[in-house]
Amino acid sequence: MSNQSAETSRMRGLMLVAGREIRVRGLSKANLVSLLVTVVIVGVLAALPSLIGGNEEDAAIGLAGENAPAMQAQLEAMGGFDITVYDTADEAERAVEDETVEAAVADGSLYSLDGVGNEVETKIDAAWQAASVQTNLANAGLSDQEIAGALTVEPLEFVTLESGGVHSTLDYFTGLVISIIMFMMLMTPVQYIAMGVVEEKSSRIVEILLTSLKPWQLLGGKVIGLGVISLVNLVAMVAVGLGVSAATGMLGDLPPGTAAAAVSTIGWWLMAFALFGTLAGGVGSLVSRQEESGSVLTPLIMSLTLSYLGAIFLLNAPTSTFAEVLSIVPPFSGIAMPTRMAITEVPAWQVGLSAVLLAAAAAGALALGSQLYKRSVLYTGSRMKLTEALRRAA
Amino acid sequence: MLEIKDLHKRFGDTVALDGVSLSAAPGEVVGFVGANGAGKTTTMRIAMGVLAADSGEIVYNGAPLGVEQRRRFGYMPSERGLYPKMKTGEQVAYFGELHGMSKAAAKRSAAELLEQLDLSERMGDFVQDLSLGNQQRVQLAVSLVHDPEVLILDEPFSGLDPIAVDVMGTALKDRAAAGAPVIFSSHQLDLIERLCDSVVIIGNGRIIASGTVEELKAKEVKQLRISVEAAEDLTALLPGTVTRDGDDYLIEDGDDQEALRVASSAGRVTRFAYDQPTIAEIFREAVTR
Ligand SMILES: Nc1ncnc2c1ncn2[C@@H]1O[C@H](COP(=O)(O)OP(=O)(O)OP(=O)(O)O)[C@@H](O)[C@H]1O
Ligand SMILES: [Mg+2]
Repeated sequence: MSNQSAETSRMRGLMLVAGREIRVRGLSKANLVSLLVTVVIVGVLAALPSLIGGNEEDAAIGLAGENAPAMQAQLEAMGGFDITVYDTADEAERAVEDETVEAAVADGSLYSLDGVGNEVETKIDAAWQAASVQTNLANAGLSDQEIAGALTVEPLEFVTLESGGVHSTLDYFTGLVISIIMFMMLMTPVQYIAMGVVEEKSSRIVEILLTSLKPWQLLGGKVIGLGVISLVNLVAMVAVGLGVSAATGMLGDLPPGTAAAAVSTIGWWLMAFALFGTLAGGVGSLVSRQEESGSVLTPLIMSLTLSYLGAIFLLNAPTSTFAEVLSIVPPFSGIAMPTRMAITEVPAWQVGLSAVLLAAAAAGALALGSQLYKRSVLYTGSRMKLTEALRRAA
Repeated sequence: MLEIKDLHKRFGDTVALDGVSLSAAPGEVVGFVGANGAGKTTTMRIAMGVLAADSGEIVYNGAPLGVEQRRRFGYMPSERGLYPKMKTGEQVAYFGELHGMSKAAAKRSAAELLEQLDLSERMGDFVQDLSLGNQQRVQLAVSLVHDPEVLILDEPFSGLDPIAVDVMGTALKDRAAAGAPVIFSSHQLDLIERLCDSVVIIGNGRIIASGTVEELKAKEVKQLRISVEAAEDLTALLPGTVTRDGDDYLIEDGDDQEALRVASSAGRVTRFAYDQPTIAEIFREAVTR
């Protein structure tokens, strides 16, 4: 048997295990139903802003009088208005009375049947002010160019002295979403991995599996399979969320760095998942019954929860020493760093250091998890002590 | 040819195997018997690579058994295991693929086997919804799906109804006829006697007897059984050690011709033959020796 084909058969074993996991768990009714429910919720949430704030029809407004042309220019620039210009104020008033238009502005009065909405009123008021200034300036003898120059205002430039010291609500929200998604995307598959390992052990099927598979293929395939399921679930959620937002015209509101943040978050997730996933498989193999899996998983669940809580805390103090340490030390950095990166500028060396440490920890977990698994997966009976598993010769 | 050579295995202070050797030639069905805790399961697990021996080796066709070759073996562990929430047909095919078959071939073979085992209608059911005996049949299908070169089955008959026992027995014989060495353990000695070409008896981690069924029977202490229609009691007259079994006389260590003369002069001899010991008797004898 050549090395080449031994290599392919090794990969094939790994992929077969991953494939089974995806078929049986990913395509199970339970997973599909929960995915469907989540997707519907995400879709509704994404559609909500436009359902509430809404794409109402353009407000029909009548204009008359001296300011009418300037008003028309202002309102058209704002958008959302269907404008009719009348020759006289009387005509405009009549148009309001027979409901041809909702409201009319003529000679300094706003006519309506019973008032206009807040938003419309604010806009019309702003347009009225600007138009009046423009008309007054023109009456004072300024040329159109001079008027335009006088009305052009540079927006305020924000200068922050402490780097990353100020963050917007949007960044905070992005960070929050990232930490929540990371937490969910680690917690669920980690528990499934442990459950799967215990299932194979308690049903004793592992004994037949090991006659044609190596322990690392069995554990690795499981971790890959559940990783793929989680990713697909996430992608489905994100795609529906973005798709609905795009369809309802709200997509433009996303902050510009969203795509890049999403990609780098997936990188952090991959490392954190390798770390937690293989450890979950390793400790799962210490017990022989499903009821006992909770107790061995506790340390993992605890550190995952702490990572999450730490990340939430970090959102409120992204430049504190605590935040810096948390986002560099594994396993906490897995959630903390992408969260921190969303909310503030992080020095490149910290990102690099954090990534290297997390990758190293993941590699260590891979080795430790598969050793634990290899040594204890065939051991049945009472729960195996961690130290004993580590002492046992493979 | 599969050879298990001089296996030693300890679990803490327990010596489970203390120099176990046995072999199975192509087409040979070997029965592996021994009391509870004698070491059958441990031996088979080591042969299948699920457990590591402290010393000793497994040789297949003259060379140490490798991982790739072992994937072409069929194994039924003593503690049965299947994925409870996986469909029967899918599960059997999955194991075919694990043993190196292509997807299509595994599917075809799974369907054929389940048909043979009368389970075609249950292909789409979850394994956990089958009866225990039917799960056992699925387990057999799992061990046979890849058309194995060697079969190692740990108590394949336990929990089967008589019809399933026949199906299983036929399956073993078929594989052997196709040239596969077959080793199986069982506590049902009548089955061993019916199915096996040779028998290996293990006790406390050592092989205490092995050979073909005939050899074992021949080796056993023979008892001469005589039935005579005679009025008087011949116990004192017959040669050797004489015991009564009902109306029959059982003779050990006596000259048979002398015994025949004594018996026929006393009355009409209706039976004069050496008892064929059953495997059960050989087993009991071997284990208690
Ligand atoms: N994992 C283990 N840990 C400790 N001792 C073990 C283990 N497996 C087997 N033993 C011991 O090894 C000895 C041989 O056990 P084994 O299971 O091989 O017997 P067996 O012949 O298959 O018995 P049975 O007929 O009951 O199936 C027994 O004393 C058993 O207690
Ligand atoms: Mg046994």
